[in-house]
Amino acid sequence: MTKWVRYAAPAVAVASIASPAYAIQYLSIGEAQKQAFPSATQFTEVQAGRVWKAEAGGRGIGFFVFDRVVGKHLFIDYAVALSTSGVVQKVEILQYRESYGGEVNSPSWLSQFVGKASGSALRINSDIRNIAGATLSSTHLTEGVKRILAVYGNRLR
Amino acid sequence: MATGSDSIRRARPLLGTFVEIGVTGEAAFAMEAAVDAAFEAVANVHRLMSFHAADSDVSRLNRQAGLRPTRVHAWTFEVLEAAVEMHRRSNGIFDIAVAPTLQTMGLLPRSAGDPPIPSGPQLPDAIELFPGETVRFRSPDVRIDLGGIAKGFAVDRAVEALRRFDVQSGIVNAGGDLAVFGRDPQMIHIRDPRDPGRPICRVEITDGAIASTARRFDPFRSSETTASAVVDPGTRKPTDTIDAATVRAPTCMVADALTKIVMISGTDATEVLEHYNASALLISTDGDVHITLDWHHAVHLAA
Repeated sequence: MTKWVRYAAPAVAVASIASPAYAIQYLSIGEAQKQAFPSATQFTEVQAGRVWKAEAGGRGIGFFVFDRVVGKHLFIDYAVALSTSGVVQKVEILQYRESYGGEVNSPSWLSQFVGKASGSALRINSDIRNIAGATLSSTHLTEGVKRILAVYGNRLR
Repeated sequence: MATGSDSIRRARPLLGTFVEIGVTGEAAFAMEAAVDAAFEAVANVHRLMSFHAADSDVSRLNRQAGLRPTRVHAWTFEVLEAAVEMHRRSNGIFDIAVAPTLQTMGLLPRSAGDPPIPSGPQLPDAIELFPGETVRFRSPDVRIDLGGIAKGFAVDRAVEALRRFDVQSGIVNAGGDLAVFGRDPQMIHIRDPRDPGRPICRVEITDGAIASTARRFDPFRSSETTASAVVDPGTRKPTDTIDAATVRAPTCMVADALTKIVMISGTDATEVLEHYNASALLISTDGDVHITLDWHHAVHLAA
């Protein structure tokens, strides 16, 4: 018969030196573009910092749209690859940040991520690479993708 | 390319959550191909088992299987077999037929033609499985949701895909349901259900799977946690026995399903855990951490 070992409740920290945060950079915009359209020879900016046309040998092969969803404690950069007919080919997360010490989009909090290399966990407070617990819903991001389709799905063709 | 050219990590929104896949030890192009194949496996599970997509196996079953035997994909059938077995072993506590209750709670959408919400006891043996991947429901009012098991299954299929590409080691994490393979142990931090921004403990995993369930929280809107999404089929209400559960098991599908049983039964779940060769960690409503004796050495509580 399995027995259970019981540990007294660890105190909920009242204050800590740094705000708890979990963040990871998966891909830069440039890396994500190449991932989405490996055969592309050129990416032409259609809308500054947001939409690029992928071309191979002078012919358009699709569009790459960069977007960001921001909540109170969550900040996600992501990209959507669209075919020339406006169909979603791929949705890829570029950067994920979670923070509970304050608003995630405050400039001072964001500045710690500047210049971080991709593929690395951003080591803040501790070195959390893998996190589990309650399942986070991706609804907000899914809504973001729908918005992109509504705005660009027809217009970019 | 990524700085550490011997490892890559990618994330995509799938299964209603964020699925992250990390691999090490191969040439970059080989790892990219392996990760793409693993995401494709997860996307296939999503397409087959989504409650929301009208053309999924689950939606077809919910429309037809109460009226006539319905054939499903081998993967869907495999998950249904495991779910029916888990239902039997847990004396009905694990129940994929609680979908109507999840609908009344607003956790699942209702569609035209859905039966009125039942109030009596759950129908025993509501799901019948036949050779040839054929399924029949005992009543046209049965509605199933595989949300409590399919995510774990998807993780297992992703790991299988990575292994087919001869990837030496890796991790697949579908919003906390995760599997690790390879020689090196991986450290997993478990969120404190009372304060999800902080880990309550960390667990070392080598070649195995863990899954976690807790009260819900939404870092998009607030850091407050709300009721559990796990429904006790006995009361048709969200369970409040404990605050959070993490289960280690040989497969992620089994770990995923067992978290629901531990959320409802608490420390009484030992017999089922033993049968599936699983260990568990739970956080009771007073915040104490309970760990099965066979696992407590691998768990490090946060200072």
